[in-house]
Amino acid sequence: MILAFECDAENVAMCAPENVSDLFVFHPLFPDSELLSWMTRTHVLMVLAAFLAIGLMYFGLRKRRLVPTKFQLVAESAFNFVDQGIAKDVIGHGGQRYTPYLLSIFLFILFGNLFEVTPLVNFPITSRMAIPAFLALVTWFIFVIAGIAKQGLGYFGHLLWPPGVPVALKPLVGVIEFISTIFVRPFSLAVRLFANLVAGHVMLSLLLGTAGIFIWGFVQGDLGFGKALTGGAWFLLGVGIFVFEILVAVLQAYIFTLLSAVYIQTSVHPEH
Amino acid sequence: MDAAAAEVLKGALAVIGYGLAAIGPGLGIGVLAGNAVQAMARQPEAAGMVRTTMFLGIAFTEALALIGFVLFFLA
Repeated sequence: MILAFECDAENVAMCAPENVSDLFVFHPLFPDSELLSWMTRTHVLMVLAAFLAIGLMYFGLRKRRLVPTKFQLVAESAFNFVDQGIAKDVIGHGGQRYTPYLLSIFLFILFGNLFEVTPLVNFPITSRMAIPAFLALVTWFIFVIAGIAKQGLGYFGHLLWPPGVPVALKPLVGVIEFISTIFVRPFSLAVRLFANLVAGHVMLSLLLGTAGIFIWGFVQGDLGFGKALTGGAWFLLGVGIFVFEILVAVLQAYIFTLLSAVYIQTSVHPEH
Repeated sequence: MDAAAAEVLKGALAVIGYGLAAIGPGLGIGVLAGNAVQAMARQPEAAGMVRTTMFLGIAFTEALALIGFVLFFLA
């Protein structure tokens, strides 16, 4: 939210902090209070995203009418999108058991990502690795435990050696499949979400922050007109990336949920 | 070489590394999206399923490019 680094606006083409991870530093919101000194904007935004997700579903579907009001329509569309488009289409029959989980992570990640593009906040909570890592961990537990519940310990047999593997190749294929399913799947799920959001946040912070510093410096008379034009160019690029970030936010939430559903499907219906 | 030059070299190698790492996923996503467009043109009523599968494939290939991006920041 706050550009907290020094910038030598005269000599550089773009203002960037020494270390880019300075853009993701925790600033405690109440540093002097004894009770709340641990609280940073990430905590507040995370709780806010959860409340927005719960509130959308609760208030939208509280008084259901046969001819829906507009807010009920939005809530129903969100529910239908996950229930029909992701849970039932991907997992097939028995998929509706997983709809509460998939809907929860979809809405939470969606609102968390959209905090990147809300005007005064501009910080996506999913750019701190703990949140995507934890969600990927929960998905991992769900698909492993669902597989064991459905197939018993033969789940690992089916996992390591898909039907039709020649006997001579079984050790090699077993190792590859084990690493791929047990380690790479949750890791890539978390890193995909995290890296997309980090990249977007870094680009938006640098481009729009630099544009702001240059154009404000020109307005105040400290910088020349050339700097103002450079600032204008960065600003236009920043606006383009801003629109792209909205698409990325929605798409990444959808892809996380879709991949979770696909992993659950391979555990629950292994014959496909 | 002294420490400052080593730092600059490390940063430059990280950028080159990421650039090389982005070739593969770029080609992969291009091939995938092209085939998806062809499939949707051949059979428009299957467009929904093709679109969903396209997104799935793009997510997998893009993950490799993004892992490269994260490693760029780690170096």
